[in-house]
Amino acid sequence: MQRDAQLRADILELVREYYQERFANREFRPGVDLVHYAGRVFDAQELVNLVDSSLDFFLTANRYSESFEADFADFFGLSNSLLVNSGSSANLVAITSLTSPQLGDRRLRPGDEVITVAAGFPTTVTPMIQNQLVPVFVDVNLGDYTAIPSMVEEAISPKTRAIIMAHTMGVPFDLDTVMRLARAHDLWVIEDNCDALGSRYHGKLTGTFGDLATVSFYPAHHVTMGEGGAVITASDMLGRITRSIRDWGRDCYCAGGENNTCGKRFSQQFGTLPFGYDHKYVYSHIGYNLKVTDMQAAVGLAQLGKLEEFIARRKANFEKIYDMLKPYIEQLLLPHPTPYSDPSWFGFVITVRKESSFTRNDLTRFLEANRIETRNLFAGNLLRHPAFMNIEHRVVGDLTNTDIITERTFFIGVYPGIDDTQLDYLGSVFARFMQGERVS
Amino acid sequence: MPQKVQCTITQVIDHGERVYSVFLKPDSLAPRFRPGQFLHFALDPYTPGDFWPESRVFSIASSPEDRSLLRITYAVKGQFTTRMESEIEVGHQVWVKLPYGEFMISPERDACLLAGGTGMTAFTAFLAGLRAEYPRNVHLFYGARCPELLIFRPLVEEARQRCLRLHALYLVEQGSDSIAYIPGRIDLNVVWKSFPDPLVARYYLAGPPEMLRILKSGLLQRTVSPSCIITDEWE
Repeated sequence: MQRDAQLRADILELVREYYQERFANREFRPGVDLVHYAGRVFDAQELVNLVDSSLDFFLTANRYSESFEADFADFFGLSNSLLVNSGSSANLVAITSLTSPQLGDRRLRPGDEVITVAAGFPTTVTPMIQNQLVPVFVDVNLGDYTAIPSMVEEAISPKTRAIIMAHTMGVPFDLDTVMRLARAHDLWVIEDNCDALGSRYHGKLTGTFGDLATVSFYPAHHVTMGEGGAVITASDMLGRITRSIRDWGRDCYCAGGENNTCGKRFSQQFGTLPFGYDHKYVYSHIGYNLKVTDMQAAVGLAQLGKLEEFIARRKANFEKIYDMLKPYIEQLLLPHPTPYSDPSWFGFVITVRKESSFTRNDLTRFLEANRIETRNLFAGNLLRHPAFMNIEHRVVGDLTNTDIITERTFFIGVYPGIDDTQLDYLGSVFARFMQGERVS
Repeated sequence: MPQKVQCTITQVIDHGERVYSVFLKPDSLAPRFRPGQFLHFALDPYTPGDFWPESRVFSIASSPEDRSLLRITYAVKGQFTTRMESEIEVGHQVWVKLPYGEFMISPERDACLLAGGTGMTAFTAFLAGLRAEYPRNVHLFYGARCPELLIFRPLVEEARQRCLRLHALYLVEQGSDSIAYIPGRIDLNVVWKSFPDPLVARYYLAGPPEMLRILKSGLLQRTVSPSCIITDEWE
């Protein structure tokens, strides 16, 4: 073995030792350690990959990114997967891609309407505004927190061109209805799959129904690379457009450090440029730079190998929490899946019933005081936030349930870092609250 | 998704006239690709994580249904292919990256495939996957210098057995008096007489640059829409 290869092997062995010393076998101390709502779950392999990629010192996307994109596309059985630097960037790339002139008459144009929901994470909606599209908000069901299907149908107008919604908290929205409407009205569909990696609908993975789908790899999500996200699609044309939007808007699809991948770098005609203008600097879109580094992808690749195990653990944790909280259904509305769906749960969403003798904040304060992390269902009603109060939009029907979510809904974790000891502790804290114990 | 794959060369066929086919067995399954796509072939060593070495593009001549063996076919024409001719041996390890390109035949219209020499490799994966139920007519004009260099004729004939909508004519520049071949290069006069409504077809051109230039110009003169002329062109 050459000396540099031997040194690399020695370093990676030390990294494995470091993992054992620093991270392995940490015991949960009830009431002292946090029961997180989410977090990174990893072993030595993530650290090894991370250091291995740093020793390449290629820095920008390279072998790990390439492997991750290929494996991730394989997971979905799709031909295109594009890494970006966050789930929010994935939404920005996906939505902006639908404005591409290369889509001809089907491209989205300013003023076109997009059906969505207001109860969710802001960056499902913000790229619509950034692209001068008009979000049309419909209310959601309580319990599954996805769009009310009849309202989606009611929201369609002559200006409607797309449906872009999240599988909120891992629960697939009614894809039968959405895809039927999309076919009938020639609408684009983007699945925001950031919360739902591994969820299924009629047995098929969410993210494979629409024209495009997005995924997040923030540490709170099913697999992580710190900051990261992906856009997936079965369409080669959309795949090429998303790559252009991500990579400064350029026409060339060479990876970083590569040249003439297309084989015609100096022999094409673009716009009014001189014939043969270097393809690397030809721009066919108004784009961004939203790429990842290879270090991020290296961590993600190790995580991807654990995905099935993570999904199973999320489902098992959900079931156990559900059983523990079932005695309190008079006070708490517990979550449930939509018909035909098998969620890969993001969290365990609870709505405090109106008839309860306590408020959401009574309960979340008690949980937090006992080291159990809680989170609201993201933004609640987006339209009540300062940034969104004056956006151009339309509301179909009313947003009664969305407002209820804003006032009475929160979630706790089901992520694979929560073990049975933590679950038992969590159950005991809920029991104490339900017996009347409060934060003084 | 493009990936870099190390391959072992398992077979080299010398077709004569400095035309070769090279069969590559990937160390891991090659990524999914579509008929008409191409790969980059490198002769120099590559270390994953490092910069990609000099490479050349070749159509993937093998079927996407078997990703455990890739085939390319090349004619010696420049420095790189001269190196390939002298350096490639069975058992050698090389790197390829794939898939790339959008030279894909659309079933939305009848297709007229104009293939010159090793340019035929842009169509072989498509023809290998052609089934009886293909919804459009496919007219193939396959030209080569001599009958021996119609390397993929057996594949075309097999495809014709499966799909009655595939029509093929062979053209050779020299070396045959057989009525099985039309003498000369691919000629639009021949194309125009060969099927009823040539203006409704989409034209796919793959072959030497000079052939592409002449045929493209001829098609435009015959008022074929530029959007219906698709060329497989590389530098």
